[in-house]
Order: sequence, then C-alpha cells, then structure tokens
Amino acid sequence: MTQPLYIISSCAISPQLSYDSEHFLAPPVSTDSGKMYVGDVDYHRYISPVAIRRMSRMLKIGITAGMRCLEKAGVKTPLAIITGTSRGSVTDMEVFMKDMITLEEEALNPSGFIQSTYNSVNGWLALMAQCKGYNQAFVHRGFSFELAVFDAMLTLAETDSDAYILCGSFDELTEDYYKIRDKAGFFKRLTPPNLALLAHYDTPGSIAGEGAAFFTVSNNSTGASCAILDVEMIHQADWTKVKNAIDDLLIKNGLVAADIDILLSGMNGDSRNAFIVEPLLAALPVQTSIVVFKHLCGEYATASSFGIWLAHSIFNLGKIPPAALYRSGTSTNIRNMLFFNVTISNNVSVMLLRACV
Amino acid sequence: MAEKVVITATGLISCIGSGKESHLNAFRERQSGVHYARHLRSKHIKTLLLGEVDRSNDELAVALGLPAGDNGYTRTSLLSMTAVGELLSGVDIALLKNERFAFINANTVGGMGKMEQLYIDLISDHTAPEVLKYIPTFDCSQSTEVTARHFGLEPFMATISTACSSSASALMMGARMIKQGIVRRAVCGGCDALSAFTVNGFYSLKNVDKSLSRPFDQNRNGLNIGEAAGYCLLESEAAAKERGAYVIAEFTGYANTNDAYHSTAPAPDGSGAHATMAKALAMAGLAPGEVAYINAHGTATQNNDLAEGRAIERLFGGKVPFSSTKPFTGHTLAAAGVIEAIFSLWAMEEGLIIPNLNFETRMEELAVSPATILLENQTLNHVLSNSFGFGGSNVSLVFSKP
Repeated sequence: MTQPLYIISSCAISPQLSYDSEHFLAPPVSTDSGKMYVGDVDYHRYISPVAIRRMSRMLKIGITAGMRCLEKAGVKTPLAIITGTSRGSVTDMEVFMKDMITLEEEALNPSGFIQSTYNSVNGWLALMAQCKGYNQAFVHRGFSFELAVFDAMLTLAETDSDAYILCGSFDELTEDYYKIRDKAGFFKRLTPPNLALLAHYDTPGSIAGEGAAFFTVSNNSTGASCAILDVEMIHQADWTKVKNAIDDLLIKNGLVAADIDILLSGMNGDSRNAFIVEPLLAALPVQTSIVVFKHLCGEYATASSFGIWLAHSIFNLGKIPPAALYRSGTSTNIRNMLFFNVTISNNVSVMLLRACV
Repeated sequence: MAEKVVITATGLISCIGSGKESHLNAFRERQSGVHYARHLRSKHIKTLLLGEVDRSNDELAVALGLPAGDNGYTRTSLLSMTAVGELLSGVDIALLKNERFAFINANTVGGMGKMEQLYIDLISDHTAPEVLKYIPTFDCSQSTEVTARHFGLEPFMATISTACSSSASALMMGARMIKQGIVRRAVCGGCDALSAFTVNGFYSLKNVDKSLSRPFDQNRNGLNIGEAAGYCLLESEAAAKERGAYVIAEFTGYANTNDAYHSTAPAPDGSGAHATMAKALAMAGLAPGEVAYINAHGTATQNNDLAEGRAIERLFGGKVPFSSTKPFTGHTLAAAGVIEAIFSLWAMEEGLIIPNLNFETRMEELAVSPATILLENQTLNHVLSNSFGFGGSNVSLVFSKP
C-alpha cells in the first residue's frame, strides 16, 4: 500500500490521563489489581442527557473519543467512519445474555441487544457527525484496529480530493470478561503492578486493559505531525515471519535498520511471545530507542490504537515521556518509528510511521 | 484504469439447502425453507418460524470430515466451512494456496449459539475443563480463522460486522482490494447461525412475525430469523481469464453509505437507501432503467420496507421488478447480503425474476409493489442487491452480465 495516512488529530480515553490532559503520562496511573479501567470523562460534552442515561459505558467512551477527535481536527463531517473492536459493548452483551437466562426468554429489554451490535458506536458517530459516507466496522480480534487503518488507506487511495476519515477502535473490560479470558490463560497468576509489567516477562499472561482511541486521518499532510506509511498483519507469528515483514517494510520505504529512531513496542509481558520479542530487541541497532505502552493501558485486543495515540503524541510534542521509555538509543531524532504489537495469541502487527516535516 | 472484478464461483447453505439447484427449485415451487426449528435451543422454537438449516451440528461436522460431538466447533464455523467447501469444490484450491488472496468474512454474534449455553458455567468458579476450548468462539473472527485453517489456507483475513449489511460489505471490501491490486482473488461472504440471543433480540424489539414474513405488504408484521453462510470467489478479470474460468458476472458497482438519521431506524423517506442505490448505479455507469431486477433487503419490518419501498419507487419509478427473497430463507443477518447477492447472480444467469412470497396488499404509502410471480426466460443484463442494517449501515451491490 502506498497511501500514507496523515494523522491530523488523535484522542484516547484510556486508563491513563490521556483525554485532554496537560500531563502527558506524568505521573502515570498505576494499579496493583491487574485490571486497568478507563476513568470516566465528561460525556456531556457531546451526548445529550437523555441519550446518556440510556447509553452503556462503551458507547459513551467510543462516541466521546470519536467526536473529540474530530473536533480537535476541526473536521465536522468526515468522508468515512471506520472502526475496529474485538468485542464491542461487552456490558450490553452480558446484560442481555443474563436477562435472557434469568428471565427465561420473557419480557426482555432490547437495549442491551441493540447496543451490543458491533457497529452501534459507528451508527451514533455517523449520526452526530452527519457522516453519510462509507461506514465500516471490523471485528477481527487483535487485528481489528489494524484492519480499520488498512481500510482507511484503501478509502483514501480511492479519492482524488483532500479527505478526512475518522478511524479508531474501542474495547471494554468487564468482570465477566476478565474471568472468562483468565481461564483461557490471558492474565498472569500473580499480577504485578502495571508499571512493573515488563519486568515480569518470565511468566505467561499479561494484565487486562481497555480503552478507545480515535484518529482523524487524511491524504493531506497539512496540520499532521506524522503519517502511518504501512501496516502489516502476521497471523500466528514467529520471529522469521516478523523479521521478514519488518525487512520488507524498510526496503519498501527506502530505509535501513539504523534509520529507525524509535521502536514503539506492544510487548505485553507474556513469556509465550518472548521467542519473538527477544530476537526483535536483540536485532535493534544502538541508534534505536525502545518505547513501550502495555504497562500503561493493559492488554486488550485493540491496545495497538493506544500505542498509535502514544506515537502521535510523541511526534506532536517532539519528546518521549519517561514513563514510556524502555531503553534509550543514540539517535536524538524523532523521525522514523517502527510500531510492533503482539497479542496474547501471538498475532503480530507492524506499522511504519514517519514524522512530517 | 482499475481492474475489473468478476465473480467466478459461489457456495452457500441456507434453510433451503445447499447449491444452486435446490434453491432454484424452491423459487420455482414457491417453497419456503422457513419452519419450526429442530436444532436451536430456545423457548421460542415452538412459536416462531425460523430459517434453520436442516442439519444438526454433528451432520455438518461429519460431512466436513470432522469428529461429531464435543469437537470445539460452533455451528457458526460449521456453516462457514460448509459454504466455503462448496465454493472450493468448483475451484482448484492451488489457486488460493500458491498466491496470497483475501478472505473477507462477516458475522454478527460469533459463536453465540454455543456461548449462551456455556455462559453461566464460564463465569462460575468451577468451569468444566471441556468447556474452555470454546472461549475463543465468542469472537466473530473465530469462524474466519477456523475456516481458513480447515482448508489449509493462509489468506489476508478480515471479519466485518455492520449488522445486516455485513456480508455485502465483505463483498465490497474484496472487490476494492482487487481493484487496488493488493490481491487478485478474494473469497468474500458471511455466516451467522441461529442463537437464542439473536432470536430474543429481535423478538424483544417486536420485529418478529409469528407467521411467514410478508415483505412490502401493507399488513407486514416483521421478519422470520434465519441462519446461513455464503461466499463468492471474486477475481480480477485478468486472473480469471488467465485460468480460463467461467465468469458468472462482473461486479460493476457497489456503495456503502450511512443514513446518519437514527441509531437503529432508517430515514422513513428512504433518502438513505436511495443514496446508496444511486451511488452504486453511478459507479456501474448505469441508468436506473437498465437494471432488470432488484433483490430488495425487504425484511418485512415496518421501518425497512417503508424506507426501502419509497427509495425504490423514487429511483426506479415502478419500472424495475423487485422482490425480497427473505420469505424463502428468513433473514439470515450477516449472511443475508451475500446469499441474496448469489440469488441475484443466479437470477441473471438463468433469466429469472424471483417472486416475493406472501404478498397480498400494496402498502398504502407506495405506488409500487413487488414481483409476486416467477418469471422465466427474461433477459437480465444488470441486477441490484440491497442490504441495510442497524446503525444506518446501507450497502447496494450491482452485478452485470459478463
């Protein structure tokens, strides 16, 4: 793909103070619970009091992140709205499911059913932004956000004029969700404090998180601090597949490894992916700084969007927040960034980002 | 100039059965596949007519060469594999193994039919160990990944969920990737199995008719829910020619737009549906009068049929026959877009206008009514298929004779 996605604005509602905060991860939010929840923000800014009362948490978070993102870009109506979510509004699904079971399929309130539909946030965003254009929702686990990015590139490549797309993702953590995924081995038996997550790469599992992040992306670089140049998804990854994908990305974009100023790494502390992460880190040249983020947002299927929010913030501010720095490289530039994400089931995505000058 | 996209193979399973012959027979005999369900576990199976595929999970599994019983597969995945298997029976699988292709699948509730039975056990403190293997089946993408793996394929994969337009959206995504030269082939479609969750969802919305659904009828009273899976093989024209493939149709137009009107209901004036159809026709370079048949979304809900009927009337002025095939199959949700696209392809191939069953009285708001008699030996050069979903998500597809 050759269509760069210029990032005009971003907005994350995350376990950190990422929403309109003057404090860029300083200090970072910490917890020992192994569950990193989003803190509520002022949802009234975009959602009417009547709608707010009826809306579940995921909808309020997703809609507010999306609308705030558009407002920051000064875009009223984007060309398209493209999202990714692994599980959508889990709370709504649980409410409807449990009611169905306990009420024995009688007299059910349909709200949970409707709001658990994976494109319900999309529908609301389209309505609020009056966006009658292309509207798409990807639901492919750890690649849901990456597919939204990929489709935004496809969509911008199809248009000749300047265009803006609202592209983002959202996923929610609930008690039931934690319980079930914990049984599938997602989370560490002894949960470390989140800020120490990556010091515990010797045990399986990660810590749980959630969040929404949206981006106004464009084919016009005006006002953008960086662009996503490429995105690759690797199913059931091993180091060889990842290495080949990274090499291809570099060659395609005329870069060598030493040109990478920052590796933004979604390593999640799960010992079961050390066979990918260790060779990746070992292969990095001395120039490259390593920046990490899962200790800040927890692990969830669309955590990569929090990573890209962090990337955009780093390009915007021209500095790396100390709370996200894993290793300092010798390069003092913030120009080329390699993004790497790995999920619990060893699916890997890589993206290449570049500063706009 | 972007590559032309053609459709060269299809596979589907619905409550009518699998394959082209069984469906054409049903259309000719006016035989609906909707009945009282035998496999779904729900309180409503004795009172609601459902488009349930007439095979048990064990029968589906065994036909795929999988073990029967507690095998870790959900009905959603089994339907998907069955339909992809049918598609592949007419294609040399090496085509998909030697060159990277896209597998774009669509789904609305993952393996919900299984998960709703296991849920209480899963959130208890003592989950039975044999239940754990079903945890990944919560996810919509499980059917996508399991199906690719079953056939030994390693495609570019994506799973889409835009409610009832999901698989129409999937067809569009594959075509766009081919046009941009990212892949030369794409298997696109969708699957949804019945679940008590979905049945109760639509039931609680009072969108379900206890008798057979009556699309576009003044006295329509909602839908019959169904299950199905369907897929089309999309190829660039060059790739299809290179292998001398039989071309069913050219995929000449598509549009995905949003009503931006209400979170669940369509704009009652039909402006959303109108815009979608007009945009798809513009892409195909067609005037409305050149379309020979419209396979309408036609859910038989109050809202959809009013909006869609008005849009069809305004754009086509009563000159183009239209019908909803949902009385034959039920509303198969994520699979509806693709199976109705396939019906449209067959209508074009065989020169058929498929009748809209159960229609008696024209809607008082409309001057148009659906085709109710099966017509044969028609010349259909272009057909249009609509899929509209919750969240204002509208997709129209246009297919043309090769």
